[in-house]
Amino acid sequence: MLDRLAGQLEHYMDLLSMRQKLVASNIANADTPGYHTRDVDFQFELQNAVAGDPQTTEVAGLQMKNDGNNVSLDRESRLLAENALRFNVASNLLRVQIQSIRSAIKEGQSS
Amino acid sequence: MSLFSALSVGASGMAAQRARAELLVENLANAETTRTPEGGPYRRKDVVFESASTASPFSSVFDAQLESPTGVAVSDVVTDTSDPERRYMPGHPDADQDGYVAFPHINPAEDMVDLLGSSRSYEANVAAIGAVKDMIQRSIDLFR
Repeated sequence: MLDRLAGQLEHYMDLLSMRQKLVASNIANADTPGYHTRDVDFQFELQNAVAGDPQTTEVAGLQMKNDGNNVSLDRESRLLAENALRFNVASNLLRVQIQSIRSAIKEGQSS
Repeated sequence: MSLFSALSVGASGMAAQRARAELLVENLANAETTRTPEGGPYRRKDVVFESASTASPFSSVFDAQLESPTGVAVSDVVTDTSDPERRYMPGHPDADQDGYVAFPHINPAEDMVDLLGSSRSYEANVAAIGAVKDMIQRSIDLFR
């Protein structure tokens, strides 16, 4: 009963943490000449639960600065907040799942 | 791949921005310095950033080949080679025969703007670390 939904939530949280790492990397390289913003195709990776690491891609359509760097701090801070909130929701859902299993185990013990 | 490596990416960003801020402050402090150990006036210094992997001792070669997200590092410190600014100050001890003193070619406004940018980038990295830390805490809370 825990497997299916918990597995999906785990995959979702894995993807979110991977994306958060890319966002942190983009922010760290906000002043690196020639650095291009990297991201994952979130919807694609979520629907195709393939084994192995998700593919990272360079984000198109961002304003390129004079030094060949196209990191937009506005975009990255939006994603930072969004990822944290999504992760928060997912972890709360997972905790509810785990708690229901745990309460079932505890009830069994007490009798 | 774990959220913990995102923490080191953020930390590398903070370290790089701090190094940049240190040089900018040094430039501002030495805006009027006419004597240096190398001789001549002080020369403006600036950092060059490069993206670098933040490989921990635990990450394998395999990880490194997967285009893992990169941190940032200071690859070089460049010294301004442009000619110093010459000001006519005949009474100055460092004046040449014509009465001109070589001053560093530093525009304090430029350095102040860079310093603000550096400070904002540092804050952005701190925010990233905060968000990642919160996510790790949420994962730990699953055990409660």
